[in-house]
Amino acid sequence: MADKQYVKPGEYSVVDMLAVAAAREVQDGEVVFAGTGLPMLAIMLAQKVNAPNSKLIYEAGTIDSKGDSLPSSVGDPRCVTQASVASGLFDVFNQLQRGKVDLAYLGGAEIDKYGNVNTTAVGDYTSPSVRFPGSGGNPDINSLAKRTVFIMVQEKRRFKESVDYITSPGWMVRKWPEGTLAHRKDVYGKKFLGGPSAVITNMAVFRFDEEAGTMYVDTIHPGITREQLQENTGFELDFTRCKGETELPTYEELRILHENVDPEGIFLPARS
Amino acid sequence: MQDKRCTLQEAIQMINDNDMITFSGFVIWRRPMAAIYEMLRQGKKGLHLVEVNSGTHAELLIGAGAVSIWESCWIGHELYGKVPYCLDRKIKEGAIIAEDYSHQHMLYRMAAGAMGIPYMPTWASRGTDILNPEYDMLERAGMRNGANDKIPAKKFDYAQDPFYNEGEVIHVPAVRPNVCIVHAQQVGEEGTIRISGQTYSDEQAIKAADKVIVLAEEIVPESYLREEPERNLVPGYLVDAIVELPWAAHPTGAYGCYDVDGAFIREFASASKTEEGFRAWVDEWVYGVRDHDEYLDKLGFSRLEKLRANSYHKYSTKVKRGSR
Repeated sequence: MADKQYVKPGEYSVVDMLAVAAAREVQDGEVVFAGTGLPMLAIMLAQKVNAPNSKLIYEAGTIDSKGDSLPSSVGDPRCVTQASVASGLFDVFNQLQRGKVDLAYLGGAEIDKYGNVNTTAVGDYTSPSVRFPGSGGNPDINSLAKRTVFIMVQEKRRFKESVDYITSPGWMVRKWPEGTLAHRKDVYGKKFLGGPSAVITNMAVFRFDEEAGTMYVDTIHPGITREQLQENTGFELDFTRCKGETELPTYEELRILHENVDPEGIFLPARS
Repeated sequence: MQDKRCTLQEAIQMINDNDMITFSGFVIWRRPMAAIYEMLRQGKKGLHLVEVNSGTHAELLIGAGAVSIWESCWIGHELYGKVPYCLDRKIKEGAIIAEDYSHQHMLYRMAAGAMGIPYMPTWASRGTDILNPEYDMLERAGMRNGANDKIPAKKFDYAQDPFYNEGEVIHVPAVRPNVCIVHAQQVGEEGTIRISGQTYSDEQAIKAADKVIVLAEEIVPESYLREEPERNLVPGYLVDAIVELPWAAHPTGAYGCYDVDGAFIREFASASKTEEGFRAWVDEWVYGVRDHDEYLDKLGFSRLEKLRANSYHKYSTKVKRGSR
């Protein structure tokens, strides 16, 4: 739109950029599944800006809530305010498996070039060097939603050639019990619904070649060079489809994010 | 009418060492924390925790050495501490077996237990290392040999869909805990449970268990609960013991009653980074108080009052949550 006023470098934080870029992934009318944290900011912003008719399901069991106080987690009473249905995990995970979820936001500790995510353990699984919190609903949501968007921090140790443990399935996954690497479409067969569609980091937006099963650079955030991006990635990046710079947040988006979505500063750092 | 009211001490005495245990709630919401503290005071050990998801309550039990097997999908304190230091430490010491499933797998395992069937099919989490047979930790420990009737013979099984030919389905084994400990807003004197707000996976957890202990903010007349039966979750005959214990979920939150005490959980999570820190914390907050009343007195009225939920909003409007 012509009247969009974009902020200038230095006028937004990393979290602002992540939340705004993630919000723009929502198409109006979609059913969105969200876990705790940044995904909550993204979907609530999307509902106030670009996708007013999107429906939100919180993982712990509330459907299409319309609260005006940001929940601090999916189990929070604030998720229940003006909800269509307050139920439980069995209901919402069944709906997920039934194929009713269009889009889900997820996070992860590590990701590889196929979009496989590790949130379980680093090192040898049977005697790990670090034990993370674990899978949660990440693998379920990433198997059963039509599209998933990962929000992550870009660091070399987090963007790996291959992850030590596949907690959540990307485009090239393990086919058990043999353990051979296979394309997601072969493993999922008739129940293939989709998979990771974007990875949004503090430096760039990545998407996937769904046939090759690999990640490519879609847009790079303003102020970040290709060299910096490559230095912070543990595998060779594919820039062949790079469209240029990521669209900056607008003043209106940041105002809504800070004044209406998270006025208490639960997830957002204060604006300088 | 059978009156199931008892003290917390009596209720926790119903739990045996080595029992398989599960809980109500979701990570840091509506966990029966007063029961966890009492389990530590009574020195329970060898527990086999089976949970749809895990949280602060389990980190306490694991850190204290009360748990020998933990089966779940996630453990942490959400916003107040994502790292499960106690589980991490016990895994590295080889003092605990941690068996991983995904959220949906654990949920369906509990649902199968609640339905009285041996397993449940699902499509969830195909292509992940959760299904890697090398990582079946109970098998590696030689515990799938039938000696313990709570441990299934396999972590997973597979079958071709025999009806619609939609491919290979994962089968997850039912869980059948000895005990489920629940925190509810209200319970009748015969045990009818009313949960307000989200019900998480409480219904499945309660119905899968052999014995059910309920800690409730208040005990109310059965006749009151029967005026609106559609608001109740389970009937009283599924419940074995009820304890009236206001604030029994603290520091976790309970819809309509009180918010999460985030500062308290953050302090615990931070203390649990080291064995010494953990010991000092439980010495102060668990062993250093005689019972739930002393715990509440130590917390103090003004602290609790800030957490108390507004009766319209169902959450606290006084608690400071963010940086502003």
